[in-house]
Parts: sequence; structure tokens; C-alpha cells
Amino acid sequence: MKDCLEATFFKRLDNFSLDVSLRLKEEIGVLFGPSGAGKSQTLKILAGIVKPDKGRINLMDRLLYDSSSSVFIRAAKRKIGLVFQELALFPHLTVLENVAYGLKGPNRWRLAKSWLDAMRLEGFYDRMPDQLSGGQKQRVALARALAPKPDLLLLDEPFSALEGPLRRALRRELKKLFERVKTPILYVTHDIEDVCSLANRVFIMRDGSIMADLEASKLWDPLSQANIWHSLGWGTLIRGEIEINDGYHWFTWQKGRLRLSPSKDLTAGRATVFIPPDQIKLIYPNLPVDHELQPNTQEGTIVEKMEINGSVRLYIFGAGVEWHAEYSKDSYLNLNLREGHPILFSIKPSSITVLTDGECCSAN
Amino acid sequence: MIPSLFVSLKVLAADIPLLLFLGTSIGWILAKKNFRGKNLVYNLIILPIALPPSVVGLYLLMALGRIPYLKEANILFSFTAAVIAPLFPALPIMIQAAKSGFSAVDEKLEAAARTLGDSEFKVFRRVTFPLAKPYIIGGLALSSMRALGEFGVTLMIAGNIPGRTQTLPLFIYSSVESMSFFEANIAAILLTALGIASLLIVKRMGGKA
Repeated sequence: MKDCLEATFFKRLDNFSLDVSLRLKEEIGVLFGPSGAGKSQTLKILAGIVKPDKGRINLMDRLLYDSSSSVFIRAAKRKIGLVFQELALFPHLTVLENVAYGLKGPNRWRLAKSWLDAMRLEGFYDRMPDQLSGGQKQRVALARALAPKPDLLLLDEPFSALEGPLRRALRRELKKLFERVKTPILYVTHDIEDVCSLANRVFIMRDGSIMADLEASKLWDPLSQANIWHSLGWGTLIRGEIEINDGYHWFTWQKGRLRLSPSKDLTAGRATVFIPPDQIKLIYPNLPVDHELQPNTQEGTIVEKMEINGSVRLYIFGAGVEWHAEYSKDSYLNLNLREGHPILFSIKPSSITVLTDGECCSAN
Repeated sequence: MIPSLFVSLKVLAADIPLLLFLGTSIGWILAKKNFRGKNLVYNLIILPIALPPSVVGLYLLMALGRIPYLKEANILFSFTAAVIAPLFPALPIMIQAAKSGFSAVDEKLEAAARTLGDSEFKVFRRVTFPLAKPYIIGGLALSSMRALGEFGVTLMIAGNIPGRTQTLPLFIYSSVESMSFFEANIAAILLTALGIASLLIVKRMGGKA
């Protein structure tokens, strides 16, 4: 498949520099990264709202920006749809007028109505934006951006303000919409669920640069997972050594050890292990422990607890390591999970990814 | 009193378009553009509000009477001077209101309009101006009333010539000076009614005064 978007640009900002290079085919690309990574600025540059210092942007064989030949096509002529996080629906116009805004010609009202009908918003034509629910507003914003048939659709965390079930429903709708219109989409988010459920391609962004560009299916490959996720501050990475003892493979470090799954590929020597946060299981002190978890039980103290989008994130200090655990808000309700409290936890040997030295770039 | 009422209404008819055009343009530039010396320009524009009208009038009298090109235009003590004089205290009110209105328009709405194919002028016509309109209506009503009630600067540069430059506030002054309180009261009631009417119009049109 041919690249629809090819963009390479540099822009010096107040606190950091953007140095971005990305290519997108006829697919949903998700630009993922922590807040302040430069994701929204990247969208603004692609849309033509902000001018980069240098670089080149090509969309569907149209040159939109080239610093070497002083080409800069302004936003109005780029044919790029943009949906802001705040949606930016025109508050003085009706729903129908909002969707028809970017359309021209005698058919504009009919076309706008057909978009609203497709979004299940028939009967809402004459409403004002402030009379709509959050999900309805999202659909109007999508219809408005797609109605003029853009060559690229940019979405800046459009579902971040919505409740979980509604967010999931809108993701499904967006995917269906993409199957219908086949407009390439670049979707900015810092929500891992968006990546899992929407992306064909993932661009991982940090400190103003794209640090990984990979197909979504490769995201769960253990090697990319460890390096990428850990560099984004997600998961636990420990450096140590593999030992073979009593017929078992053990991973040991200065203050602790973990049993590994038996594998003929594992050899004794220096190594690094990566544990995804959802694989750290908390243990009820008075209940029997699963036999797989038993040998890897660790003691620690909760140093930080955060609730994010229906999940709980714990940072636990134990055995000389800061462990990162994450679980659904409805789990472990009977455990006293407060900062400063002791906690028991464990990891199944099969959930531990072993990286030999050289495969991993950074560690705790 | 009738000639003074006509002079006042003629002055207002000339000043309203000027207040609207100049106030909106300057307010938009101050709200949306960044340039070196912007704060200085803004402070110079609103300075006439902070100065006594007689001081503003004196500066204008000297400028219009001494600067060669302006002196040759023979503006002093003419109807043109009666039109110019109220702009100095009234225009800053209009500019301030327009600036507040344009600043209140979310830049993302304007950016969205651009991505939907609008040129800068169309963004202004279809998004920025309609959303700032309540502030502009409010500013226009208040500044027009300020212009209608202008006394000091008008007296200094246009004089108090009945039928030519004597506006209603100057008529009240002259009437009181000649002890004609009945006529002064009628003119005062007329100006009060116009002030109340303008506030009602602002409220009815959804303006922010």
C-alpha cells in the first residue's frame, strides 16, 4: 500500500523541539505518548495551523510544505479535517449549519443531512451544540470534519472527556466509519485503550520525537513491548543474572529473585527482565496462593497510588526495585491499598519477559 | 433646543459608523495580533479616558491650530470638529469592548473554520465577528452615549455655536448659565431617555454592556 502522508519536520518550541518523521498509509495511525510529548503540536503543524521551522509534508502526492522551496499551503487549502479535544463546534450555529460549514454548492444541505443521518443524528438538525450530549457532540464534530471529504483526518484525543462505555462505543463507530470512508486517520492519544482498539499503526512519541513507528500487531511483541513501554514509564524492568538452580531457571538480582518459565533458550548469565504492570498480582495475606505465584511472592510498600480512567496504578517499592502494577478499579476491593502500607505481590513465571543484554536499552 | 438636538443627532449619525469601523478594527488587531509596542499603543489609545476632557481638548486645540496641514483644513470650531471631539473619549470604550469580545472567541473555533476551507476574512465574517457581536453591540451603545454626552472636548475645539456646533449638553450649559431652567430640564430629560433607551436596546440585542 502506498504512503498517503509523508511528513518530516522540525519546530523549535518554548520548552523543547519537535523533530518528527512519519508516514501513514490508508490506515488508522495512533500517535501515542505522555502529555507534553508534542502530539497536539504535531497535528497543528500537519493541519497548517502552525508553521514548522523546516521540513517537508506531502499528502496524497500534494506538496503541502517544503522549507527548501518555500512552499506553505495554508490550512484552508490542505484538505485536512481536524477534530480538537474540545471539539470546537461553532456555538452560534445549529448542528446542521456546523456540518454544512465546510461544504459548498447547492447540495450542501442535503449532504450535511446525510452525514448527520449516518451518524444517527436525524432529528437533531436544528439543535444548538449546547443542547447535545457529549457523545452527540463528538459525532457532530466527526461529521463536520469528514463532510468536505478530506484527504486526512486528524483527531486530537476526541474521546478523552467521555465515560468508559461511551468511549468504547465511539471507538467502534470510528472504526466502522473508517471502513466506510477510507480516509487515513491520525489519532492522538495518551490512552493505551485507544491504541489497542483503534490502531493499525502506532507512532510512539516522547520529548518531541517519534521514538517508534510500528504496526499495531507488533506492539505486543515482547521485545518491542519491553523497550518501548518501559521508556514511556510503563512496566517494571530489572537487571540481574539468570541462574540454574535445583533444575529451575531463576532470575536473581542484588536483593531478590524470580522463578522463570523453563526454556531451553535461557542460559546462565547477565540479563534483564520486563514485567508488564497488569501481570503483577496482589496477594491476600490470609488466603492460599496459586502454586504458580508462590515461588515469586515479594514483599513491598506502596509508595504511590493513582486512579486513571477506571484503573488503579500502584508503585510498590520492594526487594530494591520500584514495581509498577496496574489493575481494574473493581479488583482487590478488600485489600488495604494505601500509600505507605505493606503489600504482598507476585508474578507468574510465564508473564516475565527475559531480555538478554543488548536487547534492552534502559533499566531501573 | 431643536437646533441643538439636530446637531447632536447629526454628530451621532457621523460618529456611530466611525466608532463601529475604527473600534472593531483596532479592537481586533489588539486582540488577535502580536507586534512590538502593542502595550504602548493600547495605553495611548485608552489614555483619553484617564485625562480630563479639558486637557484632551487643549492638546487637540493646539494640534488643529498649529500643525500646518491640520491648520489649513480649518477644522477648529466647525461641525467637523464637533464630530471629531466626541471620538476621543468614546472610541477607547468601543475599542476596549471589541478587544474583550474578540479575545473571548476561542482560537480553536477559528482554527476549525480554517481547516474547513475558510480564508482569514471568512473566518472573521462567519465565526469571530458573530461570536464577538454581543460585546460590540454593548460597546457601540455605551460609546455612542458617551459621544452624545460629550461636553469638554467639544467646547474646547468646536465651541458653542448655536445651530452649528452647539450639541444638547452644551445647550444645557448655556441654558443654565442664562437661568433658563425649564429648557435645560427638557434637554436633560431627553438625554436621560436616550441613555435608558440605548441600555434597553443593548439588553434586547443580547449585548454585553
